[in-house]
Amino acid sequence: MPSPRYADRHGLKPLGAGIGLRRDFYEALPRTPRALDWVEIIPENFLTLGGRSQRALDACRERWTLLPHGVGLNIGGPDALDDDYVTRLAALVKRLDAPFFSDHLCYSRLGGVHLHDLLPLPFTEAAVEHVVPRVREVMARVERPFLLENPSYYAAMPGGTLKEADFLRQVVEAADCGLLLDVNNVWVNAKNHGYDPRAFVDALPLERVVQVHLAGHDVGDTVLIDTHGDRVCDDVWSLYRYTLERTGPVSTLIEWDQAIPSLDAVLDEADQARAVLVEGAR
Amino acid sequence: MKSSLKHFFDSMDTYLAGPPGAEGLLKLSASHPGWDVDPERMALYGQFVRGHVRSTLEKLFPLTRKALAPEAWDALVEGYTRTRPARHYELNRLGEGFAPFVADAIAAKGLPPFLPALARFEWTDFAVFSSEEDIPEAVERLTPNPTLTVLEQPYRLCAFVRARGAEAAPVEGEELALLWRHPERLMTFYMEATPPALLVLKMAVEGLSEEAVVQATGMAAGEVHSAVVRFATDGLVLLPAVQ
Repeated sequence: MPSPRYADRHGLKPLGAGIGLRRDFYEALPRTPRALDWVEIIPENFLTLGGRSQRALDACRERWTLLPHGVGLNIGGPDALDDDYVTRLAALVKRLDAPFFSDHLCYSRLGGVHLHDLLPLPFTEAAVEHVVPRVREVMARVERPFLLENPSYYAAMPGGTLKEADFLRQVVEAADCGLLLDVNNVWVNAKNHGYDPRAFVDALPLERVVQVHLAGHDVGDTVLIDTHGDRVCDDVWSLYRYTLERTGPVSTLIEWDQAIPSLDAVLDEADQARAVLVEGAR
Repeated sequence: MKSSLKHFFDSMDTYLAGPPGAEGLLKLSASHPGWDVDPERMALYGQFVRGHVRSTLEKLFPLTRKALAPEAWDALVEGYTRTRPARHYELNRLGEGFAPFVADAIAAKGLPPFLPALARFEWTDFAVFSSEEDIPEAVERLTPNPTLTVLEQPYRLCAFVRARGAEAAPVEGEELALLWRHPERLMTFYMEATPPALLVLKMAVEGLSEEAVVQATGMAAGEVHSAVVRFATDGLVLLPAVQ
């Protein structure tokens, strides 16, 4: 009987701990002597930009597996998928020989206007029916396994009839794609919407989790904001351990996109993720 | 797409296209009866989407911003944001139409007359920096840098930009500015076109040898050669490995 695990079905191995290739690190990252298992890239930074971006990409490609993680696919939006975007994304994924690629279960474009943000969909059957064929189209065009990430959200959209975890499950199962589980997003959403993050993790189709994201967030008076602008907090590390006990080791990324510190500080966080992965594998 | 989902997207589009403030949120909420949403939470999305336009403009156009009083800059950004300029998945591309927008706005808003040219210069700086043009590692003959962009402008902006806008305004006067990406340093270089620079570019474009230039102009051979070497070092032209 074939494995129910998405990673096994697609021959995807856990890659260890990675960090994102950000502009601040274009010069330093390719030269770092420190341990790093893989690197995530935001493809929008490399699809149409030449010069420094491409040199950094090429230098990192010589050392690490690169995983494209998009922010502009607009998988849930009303507009047709951007043909130029998908064509260039497919070419980039193939050029990098990335084992898989990912984006967010959200929408990011309305009426031809790119919002450059990840906006939540209503948790409805209608949204599931809308997204699933679009995911299939993307996978068919890019010809690589694809993961959808659970986004953070600050307000539940109108008309929701499904629980968030059920919404995620229905989309990834009907589309037969993988799940990129952002553990920080689970924590932020759980706090902002008053649910138990561990119960939420338990309700997910964990056999589809191929990658995990960890990040820091801002704590406001009434809301947590998913800023990727700080160290991973203890609660999120704890939830990460809880998740790994249920998924086994999965490729793990430290996301740090605002108030970016030194490269060493980000690599320190990746070291900590690697230690947790090793600890969990014992 | 189900009509309920289309209605949701239409209402969000109307909200995000509108001005910031409570009125848009009230309309959004009212278009979904029974939706119990915290307006402060929902307002975050409007702030995020508008904030991306502002932060990108402030990154791309630091000197244009510096040339204005804060309230004038804010009004310009707000006006431009209302045009919904983010029409490309690459974030920086939303700045492409800013200089023409500034040109249309200067009379009505009483902005400094050099502002459109300055905004165009700053956009070109970025466009050259991030150009998809490949700069070949080796060439067979003297070749213009493929990222070279030429701007004709009614102000001496090269000096103004080099001084990071230290003066209140650039000096008036026609200027032909050359901007290109350095092949090794990958930064935008720029200069006011000078006769030696234009001569070396002419040599590259027309395939003229140094000897031919010496014969045609009467210039000293050493002078021609040093100009070629200088502008090749700066990356304005690409020099064959063995000449």
